[in-house]
Amino acid sequence: MTNQLKTGQKALNMNDSSMHSNTDRIKKSLKKRNSKEKRFRLWGRLAISFGFLMVAILFADIGTKAYPAFFQHWIKVDIEFNRQWLSIEPSDSAVRPDMQALKQANYSATVKKSLYQMFPSITARGDKRDLMKLLSYSAEFKIEDLVTANPDLLGQRVSLWLLADDDVDSYFKSDFTAGQSSGRINDKQAMWLKQLFDSGAVEKRFNTLFFTNSDSREPELAGIRGALSGTILTMIIVLAISFPIGVSAALYLEEFAPKNRWTDMIEVNINNLAAVPSIVFGLLGLAVLINIFGLPRSASLVGGIVLSLMTLPTIIIASRASIKAVPNSIREAAIGLGASDMQVTLEHVLPMAMPGILTGTIIGLAQALGETAPLLMIGMVAFIVDVPTNFTDAATVMPVQIYLWADSPESAFLAKTSAAILVLLAFLLIMNFSATFLRSKFEKNGQ
Amino acid sequence: MTIKTKSLTDGMEIEHTVGNVFADDPKMSMRNVDVFYNDKQAIKNVSIDLARNQVTALIGPSGCGKSTFLRCLNRMNDTIDICKIKGSLLLDGEDIYHKKMDPVLLRARVGMVFQKPNPFPKSIYDNVAYGPRIHGLAASKDDLDEIVVTSLQKAGLYKEVKDRLSSSGTGLSGGQQQRLCIARTIAVSPEIILMDEPASALDPIATAIIEELIDELKEKYTIAIVTHSMQQAARISQTTAYFHMGSLIEVGSTDHIFTNPSHQLTENYITGRFG
Repeated sequence: MTNQLKTGQKALNMNDSSMHSNTDRIKKSLKKRNSKEKRFRLWGRLAISFGFLMVAILFADIGTKAYPAFFQHWIKVDIEFNRQWLSIEPSDSAVRPDMQALKQANYSATVKKSLYQMFPSITARGDKRDLMKLLSYSAEFKIEDLVTANPDLLGQRVSLWLLADDDVDSYFKSDFTAGQSSGRINDKQAMWLKQLFDSGAVEKRFNTLFFTNSDSREPELAGIRGALSGTILTMIIVLAISFPIGVSAALYLEEFAPKNRWTDMIEVNINNLAAVPSIVFGLLGLAVLINIFGLPRSASLVGGIVLSLMTLPTIIIASRASIKAVPNSIREAAIGLGASDMQVTLEHVLPMAMPGILTGTIIGLAQALGETAPLLMIGMVAFIVDVPTNFTDAATVMPVQIYLWADSPESAFLAKTSAAILVLLAFLLIMNFSATFLRSKFEKNGQ
Repeated sequence: MTIKTKSLTDGMEIEHTVGNVFADDPKMSMRNVDVFYNDKQAIKNVSIDLARNQVTALIGPSGCGKSTFLRCLNRMNDTIDICKIKGSLLLDGEDIYHKKMDPVLLRARVGMVFQKPNPFPKSIYDNVAYGPRIHGLAASKDDLDEIVVTSLQKAGLYKEVKDRLSSSGTGLSGGQQQRLCIARTIAVSPEIILMDEPASALDPIATAIIEELIDELKEKYTIAIVTHSMQQAARISQTTAYFHMGSLIEVGSTDHIFTNPSHQLTENYITGRFG
């Protein structure tokens, strides 16, 4: 009896001591585990700060480079609408010239002579040419517009703000010492500009032309409007084609298609398609859409179709994953009430999968937005001055515009390039925000 | 211990179901039903009637096929490709697996409440109104309002939610969600309600409310309920069927099964020797 008790006590003691040592062991390992966790958290924070730092550097760099492009210098010139300079016949001020005469008038001479009047000391031919170079060549079009709109200006003398040439613009934007030559501005030009500047005939204004003009050879006239319109038109096509097709394909494959070898093969091929280099899609567009179907070159329609093909696999894969994540209990609930397969899919599965589908769509669209390679093949890299107004107009897109400007020799295009990147990023942000808005709306409905 | 269980079950080939499978006034009658998942037989030659306006409880250990059998009664297994069903399943004399029987219509007549409460992520009102809407049961908005209110009342939920019909159904407690699911099923006015362990995810108080509700519902509906809880089966059902390894071992009045089971397996199960 006592023996039994003793062994029992012994066992109890052993148990106690082993329990004690277990606690010690756990405590020991706890230290290690905790420090591991701390290290992991530190890594996470470092990774995130690194990411933020890089983004901040990128934005600061682009922002400071782009800043000058948002402003332009204008020069005040006293323009005399002299009938003789304009070579309008008859020169009699009593007779009102007809539209034809106004259209054929010599506006460039008028600008020249008005400018010479402001600097009567300049007589040499070369100097006169240099003087003319201070103004953008758009000046003559501006006064043509003014005169044709209001012929009463003839014979009058008006102070007009005219756009400065890009070299002058760059000169004022650089830290110039007044009167000193710099860059492409020579000593004489610098002197004249100092005179103009001192008399208050130079003004820095917000660059609205950048947002209203299309591409141009003259940096001071070049704007993003054409590329922006081209991008919007192209994106409309991409969204209109890839979203409905992608979502229907995903819904069919997940909800209706039997699971067999064929559907497995389709799935593998869709995944492969997502990995195809984008230029291959461009070749397809050239060979099939333009050469066989005869669609117009450089059109946003063709660009949109090509980019849709590229975006489709991304949307399908994301949509399938999101549809798969809809709990089966919801499907069963609807089926149990007597909903048909179509009703289950459209009224329950699709709304619940929508947030994920939208995320996939936005990733696909963002990819398409930044794509240039496939567009090279279908002629959307052309220099296009007109703003495209429909899907078959010749158009270019923003990444292509950025590439073209980055490639241009004029230094003023450097700032334009960065400004265009900012506009592209803004476009992307707007797209993302609208998707996030829609997403939160669907999520709210889904609760 | 394992060996003993094996000898109790596998060694015994069950030829006939003990007890009376025939009801006097059957709403549904199933004869010689076999269910296969690919080659694996999940239900073996089961014959049973569901008596009109009665609660029939299907009990048995996990994996015995009682849920599979229940899901055959409104063709929920149609969604599973590998599932094949043989035998005759009649609803008021009509073969529910006949080519001309539309599963959509069948499921409107034979409603189902699931183990896990699964309200739609919509408002309480829309949850209940969904069935009547898709079947076009309400002629007007007022009609629909009435259906929703009476269904919620029948499910004993109306008082608790009448001020927040437009708030989300998923925001209710587990017990309330399950009653919402019952209300949603009632709203289509089915003839039969199938319940697959409706109270297994609920606490005792919510369970008691659901059980009371089932007792009231049998006045109007024929009910088949799968349950793990023998006490529950004893409390609410009039007929009990005991399933084992895909076979229907014994059917009888609930009183008889729980007080004086005829089959050894049934007795072992209800006395808690295994299960």
